[in-house]
Amino acid sequence: MQDIKTYMTPCSVGEAVKAMAAGGVTAFCGGTDLSPQVESGARQYTATLMNIRRIEGMGGIAEQGDSIRIGALTTVTEIRRDPLIAKVAPILAEAAEHFASDQIRNAASVGGNICNASPAGDMINPLLVLDAEVELARWQDGAVATRRVAMADFFLAPRKTVKRDDELLTAIVFKRPAADFVGYFRKSGPRPALEISTVSVGIGGRMSNGVFRDVRVAMGSVAPTPLRARNVEAALEGKPLNADTIRAAVAATSADAKPIDDVRASAWYREHLVKVFTEEVLNHVLGN
Amino acid sequence: MEQKVTAASIEKKSLIGQRVKKPDAPDKATGKTRYINDMVLPQMLIGKVLFAGRPHAKIVSMDISAAERLPGVYAVLTGKDAAGLKFGFVRDNVPLKEKVLCEHDEVAAVAAETEEIALNALSLIKVEYEDLPGVFSPEVGREASAPQLRDNFPDNKSLRFEFKHGDLAAAEAASDFIADDVFRPHHVTHCCMGTSCAIADFDNNGKLTIWTQTQYPYNYKMDLAPALGITPGDIRVMQPPVGGAFGSKLDVYPYEPIAALLARKTGRPVKVIYSREDEFRASPTRQAAIIHMRTGCKRDGTLTFRTADVLLDNGAYTSWGPTIPVIMMRTTSGHYRVPVVDFKAQAIYTNNPYAGSFRGYGNVQTTYATAQQMDILADKLDMDPLAFHLKNAQKSGEITPQKSFLRECVLAECLETAAQATDYSRKRAAYAAERDKPGRYKKGIGLASSIHNAGGAKIHKSDGIGTILKVDDYARVTVITGASEIGQGIDAVINLIVSEELGVPLEHVTIVNNDSDIAPWDVGVHASRTTFIAGNGTRQAARKAKAQILKAAEKMLGEPADTLELRGGSVVRDRCGTPLIKLDRLLRQMHFQAVPELVMVTDYYEPNSEPEGADHISDHSAAYSHAVHIAEITVDTLTGEIKVDKITSAQDVGRVINRMGLEAQTEGGIAIGLGYALSENMQLEQGILRNPSFRDYKLVTAPEMPELEMHFIESNCAEGPYGAKGVSELPTIVIAPAIANALFNATGVRIFNPPLSPEKVARAIYEKQQSGK
Ligand SMILES: Cc1cc2nc3c(=O)[nH]c(=O)nc-3n(C[C@H](O)[C@H](O)[C@H](O)COP(=O)(O)OP(=O)(O)OC[C@H]3O[C@@H](n4cnc5c(N)ncnc54)[C@H](O)[C@@H]3O)c2cc1C
Repeated sequence: MQDIKTYMTPCSVGEAVKAMAAGGVTAFCGGTDLSPQVESGARQYTATLMNIRRIEGMGGIAEQGDSIRIGALTTVTEIRRDPLIAKVAPILAEAAEHFASDQIRNAASVGGNICNASPAGDMINPLLVLDAEVELARWQDGAVATRRVAMADFFLAPRKTVKRDDELLTAIVFKRPAADFVGYFRKSGPRPALEISTVSVGIGGRMSNGVFRDVRVAMGSVAPTPLRARNVEAALEGKPLNADTIRAAVAATSADAKPIDDVRASAWYREHLVKVFTEEVLNHVLGN
Repeated sequence: MEQKVTAASIEKKSLIGQRVKKPDAPDKATGKTRYINDMVLPQMLIGKVLFAGRPHAKIVSMDISAAERLPGVYAVLTGKDAAGLKFGFVRDNVPLKEKVLCEHDEVAAVAAETEEIALNALSLIKVEYEDLPGVFSPEVGREASAPQLRDNFPDNKSLRFEFKHGDLAAAEAASDFIADDVFRPHHVTHCCMGTSCAIADFDNNGKLTIWTQTQYPYNYKMDLAPALGITPGDIRVMQPPVGGAFGSKLDVYPYEPIAALLARKTGRPVKVIYSREDEFRASPTRQAAIIHMRTGCKRDGTLTFRTADVLLDNGAYTSWGPTIPVIMMRTTSGHYRVPVVDFKAQAIYTNNPYAGSFRGYGNVQTTYATAQQMDILADKLDMDPLAFHLKNAQKSGEITPQKSFLRECVLAECLETAAQATDYSRKRAAYAAERDKPGRYKKGIGLASSIHNAGGAKIHKSDGIGTILKVDDYARVTVITGASEIGQGIDAVINLIVSEELGVPLEHVTIVNNDSDIAPWDVGVHASRTTFIAGNGTRQAARKAKAQILKAAEKMLGEPADTLELRGGSVVRDRCGTPLIKLDRLLRQMHFQAVPELVMVTDYYEPNSEPEGADHISDHSAAYSHAVHIAEITVDTLTGEIKVDKITSAQDVGRVINRMGLEAQTEGGIAIGLGYALSENMQLEQGILRNPSFRDYKLVTAPEMPELEMHFIESNCAEGPYGAKGVSELPTIVIAPAIANALFNATGVRIFNPPLSPEKVARAIYEKQQSGK
């Protein structure tokens, strides 16, 4: 087991990323992914363990102009209970509702969920539907430099993202959805608590005069990364939502979802569930 | 002697059937209980086990030198240190292995100052293996072409059991309908919240003290001794509080002799404790089986015969798992009136994990088959299952083909109670009519019953218990009993019975049952026997003490003993309740009189059952009982998820003793049954467990518990304490088939290989729709 040589609790983003620039830093937020992974031997701590939870300005949910900004430290419980989220992006609150258990939700951060980059990450799916971007900070030329990356481009492979090792994820930002935006999230699992998604499907878009536009479809646990289902989106975009388009969208799922067999489910069952959920969520949209 | 009567008369108040709390509940609820896992002894070392991590291999070489050199390491043991220390049901196991036969084979063990050092030492042990082709199913294992796993077991054949009764050919010819199916009950494990743990310590005379989670402390000595090459008499078994057992601690498992071998080598106490992952990989399982069952009946619904051809996955070693046919055959021959029976079971060695005993002991697996075939036959007959069950239900006084004497049998009453409470027949017909209509969510109702021993099971020479009871000068009672407490609640039952007999408050009873040097013999906690056996033992002992006390009272008060009673901490006149003398005062007077007398009694209770013989024809339990459970479910036909809305039970409990304990046993039994039915599954791939964690091994959690409605039917068992029968296994036994029958009622699909996971259900429904059936 790797020995942790230094433990630090930076108070500012600058302090944190400056330390990260030197390398060998493990950022520790809620620890709900990190601790079990280290415990099971799947990964190791590096020489410096950095508790990022006390960094100022990295928490909270706020409106900034026409955008919503969620600090990376925001817990799943905070998202679940936030009045602004409930109003502008209920799809995110819905996903938080089906996330782990109270104990885990109180510790788990949205930033950690994204950086862990599991195809089953439940915060990722609705954020893809909201077309969110992540804000990444690092130490460059003696100052904090930030860049933004679209969530849809962020994930490379299981546990691999475009985030550099010396970068901190500071926030998630998305445009305030239009008034006619509707979105729903569905994850599988009969257990009301503590269920890792076998499959998740999130669908959102603007519904006006029976026509579905700006459609965004996200799927979890059907590929090595969480993904935007572009074929399903194409089957729906700009079309009137009815039984025929729903049937076409369901058929299109097989072009997007490429699941595998694992201990949680077979590929067959995942493909089947993606179809069931796609139909269910679209019927929900239609019903509204 | 004259007594002043000061208090008002004391009424007779019976505690039998009341709700009494477990005496250890406050400590457990507040975190005060010190479980064995929490124990620390001075100078104690931590032992850790190196598992092979492969199912079948030769150990080519092993280098422990680096581990031995690590500072803080006190001992490193390998298979060479345990050669010849054979133990187990057929002496086919050793504490540390020189050849690998399953994934969790213990190939080396370390004792070190801390757990961290011990784990580091394990990582320094270099083992070179040569993997061998393995056997991962009994069907393959019995083939001539299969690898031979053991020299002295041709065709990998382990234990075999048979029972035949009646003329099968004639019964088959007389049958109008025959159900013929193959059921495949799966591997699950106990998931005790307290992981496996033992602490061993030798004194300089060679006597071993072992703190363990065992649920059978006396035969445990006999089973542990050969694993250490010592005599059972040199073992003292200590039983601190445990976090669950459920049958998993009814045998010796290698970590226990390993702790002792490390203790002997180091001269220090050694604690071996499993991580949750170790626990999943290395604990016994419920026996997996392939059951080919056939049941016949006549057109009027009369059962004609039942056959079972059972193949058991023995796993790599033989613990209690492959002995379950002893109970499987009782269910095959005794679940309803079956005139002709043909039962055979063969266990086959494989390279899978091996099974121990687990709540329900073979009956969970068998009832999954019998109770579904009752449903299948009812459908073939086009008969309401309730009527079909009632037609074949035994009555009091009947004797089964194996000579189980059903002295008090209220199966029909259980059936009627559960059916009435749920409106079963009407709902079943209504749901069946709905099932092929469109609609995503379907409701179903399913009934399952079973029979189980409820007065112990005489599988050893004795099924008895010793009790020592003393009453001190302050009227405090100590019961020194062989009965182990593993969470099932015998503590509350003993308190209740002593209080009932001696009229002392519940809190004035102390139980000593955790030290084999003190407490007398008992078989152990199994076969739903402890309330029945220890209840009788406690009652007999208490009555002896009472007789002694009342005799002394007669002498002192000048009133005949048979007109006196013990109530409310006093000696009273039985008829009117007038208190005559405080019990503690009387006890002191007995103690300090000219010829002093202390109240200390001993008792041995042996139930009137017959030993299970080689022919399996004997009345092996002092009582038998039935349970009927009805499951009401909603099925999402697209995702395959089953939501259990309600379980209604009607069980013959003989007589309610502690109502709270009985409810808890029923609820807990149902929870285990639900996990078995719906989600729990050890996913084995070529002998390797793929889901050794609670994330992917899915227990039923609190929010999924359905509404429960429990009916306790009191048949008043002549042999049981106050009429009680054993209760705790039946609720686990009947759940899976009740849900499987409800699933059929809802959807028309039947699943023969539990668990009824969403994926399996969805796939079965999907395939049924595709085939247009
Ligand atoms: C019992 C249990 C149930 C669970 N159930 C669910 C569930 O239902 N759905 C689900 O999606 N997940 C679930 N999880 C997984 C986990 O809780 C989530 O992924 C959680 O959001 C992770 O957040 P965290 O703050 O705990 O991350 P941590 O464990 O602290 O960190 C995770 C990873 O992200 C990195 N990291 C964290 N924050 C940052 C940052 N701001 N910048 C850069 N890197 C960072 C860490 O270095 C680490 O690599 C469950 C976990 C457990 C133990």
